[in-house]
Amino acid sequence: MSTADIFAILQGAVTTASLSGVAILLGLPLGLLLALTRWANIPIVAPLVTVYVSILRATPLVTLLLLLFFALPNIGVPIGAISAAVLALTMNTSAFNCEVWRAGLMSFPKDQYEAAQSVGMQAGQRLRRIVLPQVARACLPGLVNEMSLLIKVTPVLAVVGVVDITRAAVRIGAETYEPLPPFFVALAIYLPIVYAIVCLQRLTERRLARAEAE
Amino acid sequence: MRDFLVVWSERALLLKGLGNTIVLSLAATIAALVLGALGALVLMTTKSAYRLPFAGFVDAMRCVPFLLFAYIVYYGLPSLGLNLDNWSAGLAALTIYNTAYMAEILRGAWVAQPADPIDAGYAFGFTGLGHFRRIVLPPLLLSAAPVVGNQIIQIVKDSAFLTVIALPELTHAASSIQSRHYIPFAAFITAVLLYWTLCLVIEAGVAAIGRVAEARR
Amino acid sequence: MNSPIPAAGNGHRPVLTVAALSKAFSSLCVLENINLQVHRGETICLLGPSGSGKSTLLRCINWLEKPDSGQVYLNGERIGVTTGGVLMGDREMSAIRTRIGMVFQHFALWPHLTVLQNIMAAPVYVQRRPKAQARAEAESLLASVGLSEKRDAFPAKLSGGQKQRVGIARALAMRPELLLFDEPTSALDPELVGEVLVVIRRLAHDGMTMVVVTHEMDFAREAANRIVFLDRGRVVETARPDTFFVAPATERARQFLQRYENSSARPARRDRPQSFA
Repeated sequence: MSTADIFAILQGAVTTASLSGVAILLGLPLGLLLALTRWANIPIVAPLVTVYVSILRATPLVTLLLLLFFALPNIGVPIGAISAAVLALTMNTSAFNCEVWRAGLMSFPKDQYEAAQSVGMQAGQRLRRIVLPQVARACLPGLVNEMSLLIKVTPVLAVVGVVDITRAAVRIGAETYEPLPPFFVALAIYLPIVYAIVCLQRLTERRLARAEAE
Repeated sequence: MRDFLVVWSERALLLKGLGNTIVLSLAATIAALVLGALGALVLMTTKSAYRLPFAGFVDAMRCVPFLLFAYIVYYGLPSLGLNLDNWSAGLAALTIYNTAYMAEILRGAWVAQPADPIDAGYAFGFTGLGHFRRIVLPPLLLSAAPVVGNQIIQIVKDSAFLTVIALPELTHAASSIQSRHYIPFAAFITAVLLYWTLCLVIEAGVAAIGRVAEARR
Repeated sequence: MNSPIPAAGNGHRPVLTVAALSKAFSSLCVLENINLQVHRGETICLLGPSGSGKSTLLRCINWLEKPDSGQVYLNGERIGVTTGGVLMGDREMSAIRTRIGMVFQHFALWPHLTVLQNIMAAPVYVQRRPKAQARAEAESLLASVGLSEKRDAFPAKLSGGQKQRVGIARALAMRPELLLFDEPTSALDPELVGEVLVVIRRLAHDGMTMVVVTHEMDFAREAANRIVFLDRGRVVETARPDTFFVAPATERARQFLQRYENSSARPARRDRPQSFA
């Protein structure tokens, strides 16, 4: 494997990182929005969200990606590989995030919410000042876990031609007839990133448990 | 719509893909559960010479993307002299990967088990593998059912990744139908609905096991 | 030390009027045709066996529970329904709730805010008072309930009695026209009950208009202008405390008081003024 090959894999890593980053940044607030819709029981929308989340959590990412990439142009919406990839990743992670947020919202103590109502806070204020600061802290381990899962599914982007770490490794392996070395380079990039996030998750879990024990 | 009629005409291929997905997932689940149960034993043992390497393996599988692992098993192993066809490679990758996850899940459920029934088992003379099989495992599986159920859904979804090594499972079938008839929407939506149905069936199964567990609490 | 009872027909509109209020949970009727008037400066104690609907009635006053029928008026203004006959939206409801304070059985303090922040939150964010002014008022309220040194503590570090005193200060910070107490001492260890009752009694003496749901009979006898006795969702008897506790008019009230007499040896008076812990 030449340095040029390694460089190609690193370029793939940049692609992986940036696409994951975008999907994470979009998926977090989107998941919250979906969860709030169900929590507030908004008529018509809430059951739709329930079905949407259920389907997305059951759909393999590769199937979703192929669907978006091939079907959208077919019904008149032009979409490229990168956009399809970001869309698929975001839809997927937002559905899982929704469940994490929802668990936090459902377990929020009712009497704190009523106290906020009783002093005359409006819905937006109740959410912003009382509910979210606490729910965000409680959901942090689950949300960080979802981030690690998202990074682990990014190789699927190769299926529509996005050159991420895995696809770069596969291509080099095909060219050099030595598939293992580039895979190990890819591993060497994935492992520390995911491991770092897993450690972050364990850290937040421990700090949360300690805070609750007080 | 007309497209869905085309899908219906190709239902044999689609159902074969669905069947392969089910067979593959089922086989991997059973294998991973059996090996994972033994793995949980290893994770709970006090002998670090056994526990630490396996724990390292579990942590590694936790950090590796499944698709990359599947590629390594399929493309990489031949260079070590081990030639596997896509079915064996796919099944092996799914099994090994999920053995680690099942072991961790069962270990987590194990430490949450009440100690008394386990100790009572020893007091009544159960030992070793017999003790594990008859005293520890049944309540363990019942209490871990929801998390194991989630992992089974994950296995079904991971099986779709194996389309990249040309394994004729459901996504591969949908892909092939869409490329031949240019009906991507109908083909993939059908696949999505079939995955969703599989998932609902698994969740119903888990709920049923939950009711059995409740009755025996 | 009883508060002076306002003369009947003193010409002032009642602070709170409840008319023909009814509420059912699924098929279970919890409140039936409740009528109640509270005048300025009065302290009403709602007494009754568990399940009689006392807490539900209280929560219907500030519409934390929505009544099925009937009307609630705060100083003549209808709560919950606009003049057009439409259910009030969140904004209008919130505006009314700023004028009613509530103290909860389990304190309901916000754990991520300090004691001072708990008290200041609504004045600053809802009434939009300048922070410095809100802080000064919060400090003085905190002093009046004897917890000045806890201003920067988080609720988790406080005892139950301290939390409830903060809860009272938080409700007072909004300068409400009416204060509602939902079993304020029921969740407290017995030795902490007294410190809270002292605060509530002083509020009564200072002329605050209050409706208190409680099981503390001694406190009710001492601090209430009027006792409203509920049983199975209806107002069974309304009387002055010296009448109610000595010679109740109805059989159900008599049974209720009998049970109270029998249930425990009368404990030493716990709401004697004492220094704050």
